[in-house]
Amino acid sequence: MKNLIPLLLVFVIASCQKEDFSADLTESFSIESTSSAATYPIKVALPENYSPETQTYATIYVLDGEQDFDFVAENCKKISHNLSISNVLVVSIGYGNDRVDDYTPTIANEGGGGAEKFMQFIENELIPMIESEYAVDTLRSSRTILGHSFGGLLAAHAFTNHNKLFGNYIMLSPSIWYDNEIMLRLEQENRAINSNNQQLVFLGLGELENQGRMLAPFEAFYQRLQNYYDYIAMQRHIEQHLDHMGSKNPNILKGLNFYFKFR
Amino acid sequence: MKMAKFLFIPFFLLKLSALVAQHDIPANIYKDFSAQKLKIAPAIGLNPYPTADLVISNLVQWDIKRRLSLTSYTAYTYNSVFLRDFNYIKTNYNYSLSQKIGVGTTLYSKRASHTFSLLGGIKYNSFKETLENPEFEKVSASASSISPDFGMLYHSQVGMKKFFFSYRMYLPLYPYPVQRLDITAIDGNIANLSLEFGLGVRLK
Repeated sequence: MKNLIPLLLVFVIASCQKEDFSADLTESFSIESTSSAATYPIKVALPENYSPETQTYATIYVLDGEQDFDFVAENCKKISHNLSISNVLVVSIGYGNDRVDDYTPTIANEGGGGAEKFMQFIENELIPMIESEYAVDTLRSSRTILGHSFGGLLAAHAFTNHNKLFGNYIMLSPSIWYDNEIMLRLEQENRAINSNNQQLVFLGLGELENQGRMLAPFEAFYQRLQNYYDYIAMQRHIEQHLDHMGSKNPNILKGLNFYFKFR
Repeated sequence: MKMAKFLFIPFFLLKLSALVAQHDIPANIYKDFSAQKLKIAPAIGLNPYPTADLVISNLVQWDIKRRLSLTSYTAYTYNSVFLRDFNYIKTNYNYSLSQKIGVGTTLYSKRASHTFSLLGGIKYNSFKETLENPEFEKVSASASSISPDFGMLYHSQVGMKKFFFSYRMYLPLYPYPVQRLDITAIDGNIANLSLEFGLGVRLK
């Protein structure tokens, strides 16, 4: 057993690398949603030197907040500091229902189709609450949604069906394959309404996401945004040598850098 | 963390088999061991996660000394065997080629030997998918890349005569922790973890 200790240590040390955002700058509460009949844990990361009397801030809404909030908040702080520009408020949306229900637009084998109710929660309950309690910009162009996998699918759903809410989208390994590529149909149906809006979109994927479902629909979605949206600033990035989960954090960094440079 | 637990299981099995092997060694086993034994062992196997990939591999092991060996490991992987047509997404091709070399040490028991090797080399991945949903435009996308490939190979040889059974397990150490220390990168390792069975022959 003694010889197992070094191996265990390697895993323990590596597993402890999670970046935790400063507790002093984080506020936590929960919202009982009437739209989706669930209670969502919410966290808000404030910028350093947050000054509500003199300044308003842009917001980034992070899906799968339990997993990605600290990483996003910590790196927003670093990137804004490096670029010497104003930081944002990072809002973590935790789990109220199962994510496969809240993040999927239709009922299919893989999900419960609760995205519309979840978006109603974001639009009618969360955003009004954040914008009344904190010093944030209320313009569409100051709001960003960030999601990975089914979270990326929900970000795509926000783009197609709730485009008036968010001006910026960070979609990481989005599950565009879901329900026979339903997202492509939603994009097509809402194109006339959305294509004249200004938007900033980052699309990220892992190079080794080769399990027969990710790359081709991702490319189809990207090509449509590129071909039919005149006022879009977009970056598509394939993270080398990494798979679905492994590419998430590198793509979050790329997406945040793109957002801070071009917002 | 779930991923780390998965990875821990093969590490534990490797360690356990090594400990068992060490206690089993009789004093006279391999007393007639002559250096430079060359073995070749083709095998077939699976990368079980996340979708089953078929692996066809060949291992050449040269036992320079009783406890020191050089290994060459070549593998062809036919990726996602059972998922080539999903939600109108057709896989046109999807395969990997890998060549690694390395050094290892062997522990002996009565009728088997257990070799643990550290391997390094390169891997070529190539795949192409086409979205053929009649409702939408047809879109093809492809990706090819060469990546480093590091890992630990456990090779169990059962039978000490000219022909033997070969079982092996390859545990990748790339991309985690070589490319990224971020634990989420470990899904790339687990996707390339392979379990193989085959028949080997001693040439010298």
